[in-house]
Formats: sequence, C-alpha cells, structure tokens
Amino acid sequence: MSVITRILDKNVVKQLPKRAAAYYSNKPNIEEDIGEFRVLYLKTSKAQAFTKKKYQKPEVLPPRSNEMPVDQNWGNVWPGPRTFHPATVPLPLRQGYVSKGSPPDKYANAELMKIPNFLHLTPPVIERQCAALKKFCTPWPKALSNDELCEKHFPFEVISSNYCHSSPSIRDPMARIVTIKFKLNDLKFDEKSRDKYLRLVGDRYNSETGYVTIVTDRCPTQKQNYDYAMYLVTALYHESWNVEAWEELKTEADMEKYIWENNESKKSVEKLFGKNSEDIAESKQYANAVINFMNEGESDYTLANYGDSVRILLGLPAKTNVL
Amino acid sequence: MLKVVSKEVLGARLPKNIRALCVATHSQKFRTSEDKPSYHSSSNSAQYYKIPQDIRNQLFAHGGIPKSYNIQTKSFAETCLMVREPSLDIINCIKSIDYSKPVNRFVLYGKKGSGKSLALAHVVHYGLETGHLILHVPWVGQWMRYCKEYSNSELKPGNVDINLDAANWLVHFKTQNAHVLSNADLVIGQDYVWSKREKTQKGAHILELIEHGISRVKYASSCVLGLCMEIKELSKKGKCKTMVAIDGYNGFFYPKTRVYTEKKEMVPPSKVTVTEGFLEVTKFDWNNAVCVLTVDEIASAKEDQLSHMPKYLLGKEGFEHLDPFIPVAVNEYTDKEFTSCMEYYRERKWVQPAPGQDEELSFLSGSNPYKLMQICAGL
Repeated sequence: MSVITRILDKNVVKQLPKRAAAYYSNKPNIEEDIGEFRVLYLKTSKAQAFTKKKYQKPEVLPPRSNEMPVDQNWGNVWPGPRTFHPATVPLPLRQGYVSKGSPPDKYANAELMKIPNFLHLTPPVIERQCAALKKFCTPWPKALSNDELCEKHFPFEVISSNYCHSSPSIRDPMARIVTIKFKLNDLKFDEKSRDKYLRLVGDRYNSETGYVTIVTDRCPTQKQNYDYAMYLVTALYHESWNVEAWEELKTEADMEKYIWENNESKKSVEKLFGKNSEDIAESKQYANAVINFMNEGESDYTLANYGDSVRILLGLPAKTNVL
Repeated sequence: MLKVVSKEVLGARLPKNIRALCVATHSQKFRTSEDKPSYHSSSNSAQYYKIPQDIRNQLFAHGGIPKSYNIQTKSFAETCLMVREPSLDIINCIKSIDYSKPVNRFVLYGKKGSGKSLALAHVVHYGLETGHLILHVPWVGQWMRYCKEYSNSELKPGNVDINLDAANWLVHFKTQNAHVLSNADLVIGQDYVWSKREKTQKGAHILELIEHGISRVKYASSCVLGLCMEIKELSKKGKCKTMVAIDGYNGFFYPKTRVYTEKKEMVPPSKVTVTEGFLEVTKFDWNNAVCVLTVDEIASAKEDQLSHMPKYLLGKEGFEHLDPFIPVAVNEYTDKEFTSCMEYYRERKWVQPAPGQDEELSFLSGSNPYKLMQICAGL
C-alpha cells in the first residue's frame, strides 16, 4: 500500500462512521420543531444564535426637590434624623475641596453625607413639638423659684436617659445607666466618719464642687440600677459611721494629719504654764500655728508663723525688721 | 557725724576712684566702735565691731569661732564680728526676758555658711557682758562625729563616755566662766561618788567638780553631766543666771554617730553620757536661764543633709523636746551687709578695689557669707 492510501485509510475511512453520527444527531429537525415539544439542541448552530438582551437604562426620576412647593411643611419632608440626601434638600449646597474650580455640589457628595445634620430640628419643628408636649406638662412649682431652693428641697439629682428610635428593639443599652449626684455637705458627719466616707467614695467625690457622683450600670434595667444606687448611698453613709475594733489601735504615728490636742506640744504648753490649755489666752493661735506648720510642712512661711506665735505665747517682743 | 557729712559732700563731686579712697579712710559706715553687744541696736546693723583681745581669749580660746573664720581673724590681726539681724533679734528678746519664768529656747537655723555660729558667738559675747554663766558647746559634731576617744561608761552601765572631749570642754567651760566661778555661792547640791576613794562632797564649790573632771579624765563625761545638773539646780535657786549656747544642737538627735562601744557597735546619741546633761539644760522646766541653740546640717552625715530647716534636722523627738521654741532665721547677706563686708575687706587690704567688683562677687557667692569669704581668701 502506498503512503497516500494508508493516510487516507487512517484519517478518513476509519473516522467516517463517528463523524457521520455526530453530524446527524445535531442536525436541526425542522419538521419535529413544529410539533408539541421543542427540541433540545445540544450543539449550537448559527440558525439559533443567542441574541443578547439590550440593556435599558432605568429611568431616573428628577430630584424631588424640583417639585417641592415653596410653602411646604419642612417637618413632614424631613421628620427625623437622617443622612443628607441631595434630592430631598432643596438647597444649592456645596461642600468639599478640589484643587481647581468651585467645591463639589450636593449630588454624590460624600462630604455632605459624612457630617451630622440638624435638618430635622429646625426652629418651627421644635416649636411644634414643644407645643405638642405642653399638654403633658404641669406648671413649675412656685416654691422652687431658684436653684438654691431646688437644691435645698431636692438634694438628690438622678440622671438617666431614655432613647427612642426606629429599630427592631425598643431597648437601648444606654438607658440602663443611672447617675446620682448630691452634695456631701447635705449628709451629716463628724470628722472621723467624713474622713472614712471620703476614703470609701474615693474619686467619686469632687473636692472643688463638693459633689459626690455615683454612676450605676451593672444591672440590666434602669430601675434596678436606680435601686442599686440608692442602696449604695445608704450603705456608704452607714458604713462610714461604723467603728471597727481595729480602728481603736490607731496611734499618733498613723494619723494622716497633725492634731494638736493629741500631741506632745499641748502637754508641753500646759506644763510650761502650769494650767490647762483652754485657760491660756494665746494657746489658740499657737495651736493653729503648730497645726499649720505640721500639716503643711516646713517652709520659711510656716516656720516664721510658728516663731511669731511662740513669741506671742511667751510674751517676747516681735521680730523687728531692721533692714 | 561731721565726717560723714563731709564725705557725702565730697562724694557728690569727686571722681569714683578718689571717692573710694575717701570711703576707705572714713570707716564709720561699716564699723562701729561700740564693742559691748548690749549696746548694739538696729542702727549698728551690718556694722563690724571688734571683740577685745582679752574677751576673745576668754570666750573663744577653745573654740566657738569656726576654723575658717578664725584663720581670717588671724590674718586681719583683729577679731571682728558683723552685727547682724538674728543676733540683734535674740539679744533684744533676752533683754525683755522675765528670768523667773521658764526658759526660752531660741533656735538659729539657716543654710550652710550663712553665719549661724558667728551669730551665736555674738550672743555668747552678750552673755559674758551681762554676767551670765555660759554653758557653751562650740560644736556638737565634734563629739558625735569626730570624737577623740570613746569607752564604755563605768558609772552609767550601757552608756558610752567621750572623756577626752568632755575634759576639753570642761577646760573650755572653766576658761569661759572665769568671771562667774569666783562666786562662792556656787556649791554643789549632792554627793558625787566616783570610786571607792574618790568623792566630791555636797557643799563643795562647783569648781571642784570641774577640776576633778579635768584631772581625772576617766570621769570627765560624768562630770559634765553632773555639772549640767548642778547648774540647773543653782539657776533654779537663783544663785546664777545661765546662758546655754549650743552649736549644732541637732547632733544630739541625729541617730547616726561615729561613737562606738567596745564591741564596735554604733551608739545613738542618747546613749552618749554627755547628751543627757545637755538635753536636761535645754528643757523648759527651770528658770533664770536662756537657751540659744543652732541647728546645722553639717552636724549630720553628708547623705542626710537635705534641708536646713529645724524640724527636719531635729526630727520628731528633737522638735517635741524643744517645742515651743523661737526659730530665728540666719539668711544670706543683704545688700547693705554685703557692701559692708566688702568695705571691711578693702579696708583690711584683703581685696584690691576694682570697678564692678561688688556686683560680681555678689553673684559669684550668692551673697553667702562663707562663700564670699572663700572667694576673697588667698589660694
């Protein structure tokens, strides 16, 4: 066999039945297509080529602000807090910075959306809301005409917040927090219990304003936190009046400040004059000078004060400034 | 007075260098001829007065004037002290003291080198002049930190004696009080048994007690203690007027000393025999006396020299021991005092006059008297 016949035999004659089968099975059967069932064509042909659906741009409505009447009720258009929307706000706003040209206008302007707005709190809206709330209010008591009277009759200030917003839950975790404020001077203390109370409340006491502030947030509801705060106030007060057995062991060295009556200084002066310190006319100012000297620490000023008071106590001439 | 006026008239017209000369020749401004401290008043403030040589020998032959100042007085061939506010203040107070009342304690305090010891020397001079019996300790630090010798006490078991220093002090006391000790009233009120054979009888003159301490150095510390007690008793009886003057008093309360037992354990000052005596005479429970003390950071160890204030130096115990006392501050030179000091140095030919000298030295020394003395001294 020549080379040509061998190649022909291999490529054409042997493949022939396969090709023929493929061809026939994919051939569109026009007659069958007309019948009740459509034919599934596994192999596409030009005759049934897929036509791409043409994209139609959705129709964009013109901005709503174009249709707004000038005398509309703005409170109805923008009833609650909301991110800025350019089509709703009928104002020619511009915000942001570009290197050349004017700042970008309100459409697709992220700068305007980022900042919080108060478009829901325009003065007429506030007025309307106040008017609506007014029927729920009672007149302010005349007896509480000023702040001093308020503080006198209502020494406790309870601060808590309620939140109202549209979300699946009506609970806000922040609403549970209760803050209680009162003046320390409204509670009755002696020196020891006051000291103990201050140690117990720690930094909850502000020495500049004189207020104690207790914040409770450990319970899940506001009511529970309020009760807990009240419990704390009561417990702290009574605890500060308690005297433990070990407190009696406190010696002079443990004192946080110098108390003249408990110290050697008083004994010395009494011995020096041979009478009680109450009977010594100048002992009061001397005691004050010693207390200042001891409590404020040694400085030229406190020492000079001490010296002057000793001179008065002992009846010596005052220091004269010669120069 | 005339001279002063003429100087001022001259000063207005003459150039600076000649004016300086005039000031040098007229020494009224920075010197006073008044050498009796009881006559010193605020008008003498910042002026130098000369201590007569015999008084100087009596008072300060065995200490009392700080070493560096002593050297300077030798160079100047005269002992001059500046009349300063603290000592004037104390002298003024002492003049008005009612001696029948309990003892007043004055405490001089101030920074290092501000002149506490010299203020004390001035007051001691006043004490001598007014006939006080002077119980003067020139420097407590000498005993507590630089004592010559220490030994366990025989008479007071558990205590430590510093006998050599005590004997030295007895000599000092004896010389200082030569004017009072001739008084026959000063007799001791109790028997002192030193050993089997040695005894000082009740009714003997106080000088015998002192002599015993000097000759039998072994008992010097106990003699000092006895002497303090006897002086206290005598003052109470009104036999003498006493001035207690102690320099570096805080040394009696500073816990670290360089006094050791025979086992080389450090002894707190309260266990040193002489301390008890001097603590006893600085209490207020007696009269006919006055105490003038100084507190000085140099009396404590270097690491504890943090403040010059009396309460820090005395500690709680010392403060309570002295309370109520009168603190008297010794400050740096004022402008007037500084000028006066420089005038004195120029008059002594100690510094060469130069323009702008005073301001420069004032800045360099911070007006601290000791620093000024050091800057102006030779190399």
